[in-house]
Amino acid sequence: MFVKFLFIASSLLTIVSALSMLMTKDIMHACIFLLGALMGVAGLFLTLGADFLAATQVMVYIGGVVVLMLFAVMLTGGNELNKRGLNPVPLMGNKFTFALGVFGASMFFIVVYQLLYKIFHYFHLSVVDSYESTVEKIGRLLLTDHILAFEISSVLLLGALVGAAIIARPKRN
Amino acid sequence: MMMGLTSYLLISLFLMICGIIIMIARKNIIAILLGIELILNASALNFVAYSKFVAKNFDGQIFTLFIIVVAAAEAAVGLAITIRHFQISESIHIDDATQLLA
Repeated sequence: MFVKFLFIASSLLTIVSALSMLMTKDIMHACIFLLGALMGVAGLFLTLGADFLAATQVMVYIGGVVVLMLFAVMLTGGNELNKRGLNPVPLMGNKFTFALGVFGASMFFIVVYQLLYKIFHYFHLSVVDSYESTVEKIGRLLLTDHILAFEISSVLLLGALVGAAIIARPKRN
Repeated sequence: MMMGLTSYLLISLFLMICGIIIMIARKNIIAILLGIELILNASALNFVAYSKFVAKNFDGQIFTLFIIVVAAAEAAVGLAITIRHFQISESIHIDDATQLLA
């Protein structure tokens, strides 16, 4: 019951936030709506039984990435300057190309649906209500089966930090 | 039925479409990075849903962990490039980013 409520609330939060990100004209509001969408995805992770991932999502994305985005908006002139790039591009193409695009998209959808038909119709298992922590299992898997990817990702993070610090250094005059 | 694989895939599809539209229709570099974050989240949601309903193991969750790490690194470097570009050309419009060498 609680899981069902959580699912409905999180999916509504995700969908509404993503739509508002699409519609808004203000980049600060877009950042705040991104926060809502990431929070909704964290809730969906919880309904899937992935508690560690939900906590990581909240810590890294909401604590790190969104705050970084807000810093970048502020450092690049705040709201006024950023309004310029937010106006949508005028539509290119005519009715024929739009019809062609809709036709191609629907053909693609039909093909993908045929491919995924079995999965859609045979996996209707509901989420188990018994709670079981995934932290220990993920930790074990990370340090046994996936140790190489773990180490490479740590090197990647170090490289990204050093690279960001070097790229964004102030101008020398 | 309601909380099956299909609903998660549909939510993920919706997030993916929103991210792609944001990436295409916006000309602000930071807005484009926001769209990329949405797309990465859609793929992460797909991974977790498939690992729960189809594979029934934890490989998808570990993949999602690495997606989060890569997304954090990408956001850091992308925003550093944005700030540098703003220092050089006083603009964060993507059409003004025409030079590789500053």
